[in-house]
Amino acid sequence: MVGPYNGLRIVDTTGLAGAYATRLFAGLGAEVIRLEPPDGSPLRRLGPFAHNVEPPENSLWWSYLAMGTRSVVIDPEDTNSLMQILAEADVVFEDQLPEKSLVPQDEISPTTIRTKILPFGLAGPKRNWSSSNLVAWAASGILYTTGFTNRPPVAPAAPMQLAYHASAASALVGTLLALRSRRITGVAQDVEISMQEVALSIAPETGVPMFMDDRVHRERSGNRRDLGRPFGLYPCKDGFVSIIVLMPRHWVAMAQWVSETTGNESITEEVFVDNAVRVEAKDLIDDWVEELTTQGTRLELFEEGQRRGIPITPVNTIDALVDNPHLEAADFWTTTQLQDATEVTIPGAPFRSSSPWWSMAPAPRLGEHTHIYLN
Amino acid sequence: MAHFGADVLKIESRMSPDVVRILGSAWLKDREDLAPISSDTSPYVSEMNASKRSIGLELKTKEGKAAALQLLAECDVFLANFGARALTELGLDYDSVAAVNPDIVYVQLPGFGSDETMPYYPFVAWGPNQAPLVGMDDFTGHADDPPAGIATIAPPDYMSALHAAIATITGLEQRDITGEGVHIDISQFETTLALLGPFVMDYDLTGTVYSRIGNRSMWGAPQGVYPCAGNERWIAISATEAEDWTALRTLLGSAIDLDFDNPSTRLTDQDRLDEQIAAWTSSFEVEDLAYRLQSAGIAAHVVSTNEDLLHDTHVTSRNWYQVAASSRLGRDVFSGCAVKLSATPGRWTAAGPSMGEHTREVLSDVVGLSEEEINNLISAGGAFEQLEPDMVATRPWNDWIHLLVPGTEDARDL
Repeated sequence: MVGPYNGLRIVDTTGLAGAYATRLFAGLGAEVIRLEPPDGSPLRRLGPFAHNVEPPENSLWWSYLAMGTRSVVIDPEDTNSLMQILAEADVVFEDQLPEKSLVPQDEISPTTIRTKILPFGLAGPKRNWSSSNLVAWAASGILYTTGFTNRPPVAPAAPMQLAYHASAASALVGTLLALRSRRITGVAQDVEISMQEVALSIAPETGVPMFMDDRVHRERSGNRRDLGRPFGLYPCKDGFVSIIVLMPRHWVAMAQWVSETTGNESITEEVFVDNAVRVEAKDLIDDWVEELTTQGTRLELFEEGQRRGIPITPVNTIDALVDNPHLEAADFWTTTQLQDATEVTIPGAPFRSSSPWWSMAPAPRLGEHTHIYLN
Repeated sequence: MAHFGADVLKIESRMSPDVVRILGSAWLKDREDLAPISSDTSPYVSEMNASKRSIGLELKTKEGKAAALQLLAECDVFLANFGARALTELGLDYDSVAAVNPDIVYVQLPGFGSDETMPYYPFVAWGPNQAPLVGMDDFTGHADDPPAGIATIAPPDYMSALHAAIATITGLEQRDITGEGVHIDISQFETTLALLGPFVMDYDLTGTVYSRIGNRSMWGAPQGVYPCAGNERWIAISATEAEDWTALRTLLGSAIDLDFDNPSTRLTDQDRLDEQIAAWTSSFEVEDLAYRLQSAGIAAHVVSTNEDLLHDTHVTSRNWYQVAASSRLGRDVFSGCAVKLSATPGRWTAAGPSMGEHTREVLSDVVGLSEEEINNLISAGGAFEQLEPDMVATRPWNDWIHLLVPGTEDARDL
């Protein structure tokens, strides 16, 4: 391990809530110990699973998020072993309220940073409430504004578990700040994350300060918005593309493209350069734009539209991303090894640094490192 | 970073202003007299920039660029989200900045990375176009519907920003230890894809192309958004674990078929399960049901509207919304910081700055220019100051800030 956090010892007692944070920590060189009960971390029970690997080593969530970490199994009753592990920890990640945590709050060293990722925070009327990715989005105002008018509202990118990962990333920011503070003062502190507040901080576009300003009740509007035209998702040969045209120069390029491809002569008329006119005539504009988009694939439309300076992107699916020519050229995808030695594709480092910061070992077997830390 | 004490200097341009400066404020539309200060009135100004200082520098001018390099020579961190090509054309690429400040922590967030040999290097993607690109839109919506899109928010922007904060602090840490600066390149395309790990692995292993499943869980049932009494009142419920079901079952009583006690039936017959739960929830007031479910230990929440959040006593009791002085608006309200530190809690020194409010003081205190040099820079068009510094406006809802920030009924509380 050569990363910048080489020499730090992190203990992770969380499930999904802290996993992305400790994954990044491990990638950046820290020694991350995942404390697991004898039947394994709850992460190990999350599918999809690798079919050729036996439980509890077959969860792909575990195989990805626990990469670079060490697995130490401790019986919940065995406080001696627990204290032995915690004694030398620089940071402990928890996802339970103090009274429910397996970490004895009073016995933890004053130099250990305590990072707590909680559904609604440590204090307040809802401190005891439970949460989930879905519930966090519900409590943020974002869920209400997402989806089609005639269907129930939906959480953004629900399977990705964004509310958990954004909470974990926020927790890591706080933890790194606390480590810097400790280096100067010698004293550790608590880092507190409320998943609701993390989701709220992703919501300024729909949030209360904006609402105070315009007093417009937000409703979901499907996959297009009346801020401009074209604005939103448009069908194509193999799915959808996203087009956001607001600026006059983007419209002129868009109209030119539609005209050249479909022979439409009306679309280049001067009157449509006015965004307000296009929004007024949105059905007509949408029909004309769809005559273009339905003739191409996501990738064709993306590359040609971008070449013309139009803000257009493909609505990517997993297969399209894995096969994407730019990501391939940039050597983004990398691999890890499952417990049966299968090499499997995974995303590479989340950022690139001029110093060699990033490295990741495969996820550990249940209890693989217990003997190193407890003897 | 500004909240936790860093002196964050936001470089602003009138030639190509930041989008938050263009938006303005809804109540200002009929106020011709206040047009000169419109750029300071969008609520985004304080939402995004509270406690930062605003310096007006026109980077496209020779003088403005020279002043920027003088400023960067004094800074610890340079953070830029211009397109990679634009940054190079401005002469503010890593090599140019490192030439005046070799120890700098240089963090850039171009859409597709800063390697000019890569296919999408010149492409641009921002805001609502970013989520579809990184797979989020395809994952949003009910299984049988077209992708619903994430029209109203831009999670990739925030995930990139969080990664940028992590990279920046890590860069500072490394510099403090080794004395060396660092160049960090955050391709917004790549950084959000790091959240797709398990789905990429499953595709590689089995060819499965995972996609949207509405509000359901991959790991258990029931989970969903169900209607309550009234118009457009919804409740979100997650009861995916065995003990959740036991608790929910007690509340549901005879509203649910007995065969759902079998966990595999709950998974295989989710349509019928959801229908029966929806029939049950629709007779409840949504707030009442949320409290009943949480009292039984089940994760649930009102699908909150902004109107609900205004009156969410949990949020306000935690001081989520903050109020601070604003040179233009007297005071302004904005969302707090989701990272809470117990010993070094940070502070908000001010609401969002007026455009160019701190140009003169930054050029003087940080860069060390004389008054004459600053005047020359401004008259050459390389820098600009705040317009109409004496013009002050109060938001029409200034008197209601106490709804969000308890204890501020009296403006003098500031």
